[in-house]
Amino acid sequence: MATNALGLFNAPSSALEAAGALKGAGFDSPTVISPIPIHGIDEVLGKKKSIIKRFTFFGALFGGIAGFALAAGTAVMYIHATGGRPIIAIPPFLIITYELTILCGILATVLGFILGSRLPAFKNRVYVPEVAVDKFAVTVLCEDPERLKRAHDILQSSGAEEIREVEGEQ
Amino acid sequence: MSFIDTLRSRWQEYRRPGYYENFDYAWTMTIDLDSCTGCGACVTACQAENNIPLVGEEELARGREMHWIRIERYWEGEFPNAKLNFIPMLCQHCDAAPCETVCPVSATYHNQDGLNAQVYNRCVGTRSCAVYCPYEVRYFNYYNHEWPSPLDQQLNPDVTVREKGVMEKCTFCIQRIRQAKDAAKDDGRRRVLDGEVQPACVQTCASQAMVFGNRNDSQSEVFKSMNDPRAYHVLEEVNTAPSVVYLKKVEVNG
Amino acid sequence: MANQDISFAQINDDVVRSLVVTGRKYYITLAISILVTFTCFVGPWFYQLRYGIGAAGMNHPTVWGTYLASFIFWIGLSHSGTLLSAVLHLTNSEWRKAMYRSAEAMTLFSVMVAAMMVMVHVGRPWFVHWAVPYPNQMEMWPNFRSPLMFDVMAITTYMTGSIIFIYMGTIPDFAAVRDRTTGWRHHMYVLLSLGWRGTDTEWNRLHWAYTFLAVLIVPLAVSVHSIVSWDFALSVVPALHQTIFAPYFVVGAIYSGTAGIVTVMFVLRKYMKFEHLITKLHFDNLGKLLLVMSLLWTYINMVELFTGWYSESSEEYEALNFRLFGFYGPLYWEMILFCALAPLLLISKRFRTSFVPMLILSIVINIGMYTERFLIVATSLPRQYLPDAWGMYVPSLVEIAIMVGSFGMFTTLFLVFVKIFPSISLYEVKETLPEPQPKPQADSGAP
Repeated sequence: MATNALGLFNAPSSALEAAGALKGAGFDSPTVISPIPIHGIDEVLGKKKSIIKRFTFFGALFGGIAGFALAAGTAVMYIHATGGRPIIAIPPFLIITYELTILCGILATVLGFILGSRLPAFKNRVYVPEVAVDKFAVTVLCEDPERLKRAHDILQSSGAEEIREVEGEQ
Repeated sequence: MSFIDTLRSRWQEYRRPGYYENFDYAWTMTIDLDSCTGCGACVTACQAENNIPLVGEEELARGREMHWIRIERYWEGEFPNAKLNFIPMLCQHCDAAPCETVCPVSATYHNQDGLNAQVYNRCVGTRSCAVYCPYEVRYFNYYNHEWPSPLDQQLNPDVTVREKGVMEKCTFCIQRIRQAKDAAKDDGRRRVLDGEVQPACVQTCASQAMVFGNRNDSQSEVFKSMNDPRAYHVLEEVNTAPSVVYLKKVEVNG
Repeated sequence: MANQDISFAQINDDVVRSLVVTGRKYYITLAISILVTFTCFVGPWFYQLRYGIGAAGMNHPTVWGTYLASFIFWIGLSHSGTLLSAVLHLTNSEWRKAMYRSAEAMTLFSVMVAAMMVMVHVGRPWFVHWAVPYPNQMEMWPNFRSPLMFDVMAITTYMTGSIIFIYMGTIPDFAAVRDRTTGWRHHMYVLLSLGWRGTDTEWNRLHWAYTFLAVLIVPLAVSVHSIVSWDFALSVVPALHQTIFAPYFVVGAIYSGTAGIVTVMFVLRKYMKFEHLITKLHFDNLGKLLLVMSLLWTYINMVELFTGWYSESSEEYEALNFRLFGFYGPLYWEMILFCALAPLLLISKRFRTSFVPMLILSIVINIGMYTERFLIVATSLPRQYLPDAWGMYVPSLVEIAIMVGSFGMFTTLFLVFVKIFPSISLYEVKETLPEPQPKPQADSGAP
């Protein structure tokens, strides 16, 4: 299993500083683990492209088409004329369409979130319980002892309170 | 190409208001209020024909009466000059029935005879149809009714006994219409002849105030009757296109 | 916005304590509410299932009764949680963060109770699955042209959306609680948190997913109560057949929902000891919202009366006359007093920031709103077109019991919720605190 250097910080600003320094020193993907979302992390680690919006959009689109198809299709499959309305009555079916658009949009967003954030985690990943309370961790994968030493130095110079070596996937 | 044409013709068919281009039959009833004496024989006949339970005094007081046809009474004027008007009220079998659209499970729908059909087996009892009906002619089974012996011996075998939680209403005696259609088919005829089928209420009416028939047939008695100048629909402003036509009572000396 | 002087660790402590430490009061309340649920809801319902809907007081013109009133009430109560939370999330309101979790839970459980009320309402609930579109051997499908079918679709979507919305917002908190619990709780939170760590990628994805959900849920919530209103407004019943009904119901829903939040906030603050997290500021803001909603509600009520009067049709006149001065006239004026006049007290800031008066007002508003829903059913249906079919409707004992029992059911669900879900959003309350600053260099040092 791979070894990771992990530095604990008590402030988001110093964690960001360390992450930036690690990135500058050639570590390709330092991970910041924090109890709250950190503002301005995009400037340090680069903007993240999220696929969720595509999921939401196409999910909603699918839902809209499926909704109208459900209402119109089932009405045609077993014909019941009601109340002098046409079999395919547009205004009521638009309401079904609307609801299913939203339902499928929501479900697709969840799917996008699950896939995009690589959850649920089945393997052991780098984690220390302190980050769920008030500590900010910066961790980076180190293939060999030499890189581990360099990561250690960078974390320390950025003001890490504590530096650990943690086994696990990033 | 032909596929697109099929699709287009199907689309046009399904987009037609009311779906049916014309009904096989359009069963219609006219009620002449001039002849109606308000005797209530139709109510009794209906009760016997359609297995309508007798709810009893207590339930009646709670406003849970069950009769598919009722005689509405309206008093006019004050005591010495009081006048009493009758109007028999039954399911109007509307062509644009509000009750049909609201049923979530299609338990009530319009059949090709132009009847407003009620499928007891399908009914889940949301009772919305009764709310949507402006004529208040839908009746709900608030509990399982019992026919104490020997009343159970006179139940009509052609009609379902409805269980609790089910909505029911006038069917224009659909069981008789079915029998007449079957008989016509056996005789090799395409159509039921005028006067071959009569609902229980029409059959019973002593003053012959009610006429029943197929309004698609311009020779039928009901067709002539509904084109009487006195003809009107109840609550025409609600736009339900009813199949029951009333003939106005004529006041001679006001 | 919590007090500024509490630390991150203290928030974790508070929330974990609220989950793990359970006092005797909690168990007593839980026992009572379960008892109420069984004696007042389950028992009478079983009786009604055996006997038939006749156990309720409904009759020939008034085939809808308190079950439907309760249904609208609970759906309405559900409207502030998720809707308010989503709107405030999109507008970046800080004060939302301490209260939205329990508000959303309120949504969820209200919708569940409302769904139960539908089961109680229908005549043959054992066939209610026929209103769900699934392929079956009868080859029958539901009637999608029916307003009730819109309801089925809207409420299913709303319930699904609310569950997902509250769950997704809680994942980081499950992770935080996971690290602090042991035994079965630990296993449960391990499963619920999905292995959340709080990495930059996860936060980023959560932010976007949550925002998109909020965007989807706002129009959904508005549509749900419009659709509920169409159950009535699409009929031809005088006094129900009105175009104002959709906004009327939506405003009423947000109104009673906000009042419900005030009640829940008070209880949480008092009995879960969240005094430093739920503050006067929340009550002040909720009070302002309540005031706006009460004014809107009053306006729409006036419009409803006005259009009825202006129509100059005899059936509208009769329906209005019956509502205002008939058998249920006193209830109408009670509703006006509780929902239109009493909330005017909220003009005073002193009133908005005092807790007990706000609690009393919020309960009074919801009593008024229940009355409103009751009157919609009980004063319109007995006065329809044909005077011969006029009637009178008085709820039976079974109906009243089931109405009380539905409150017991809601309380039970909510009490179970507060012991499983962190009822305050940990990470978002932390976000409202000042950002931790690096300590002076002298203090920090590598181990």
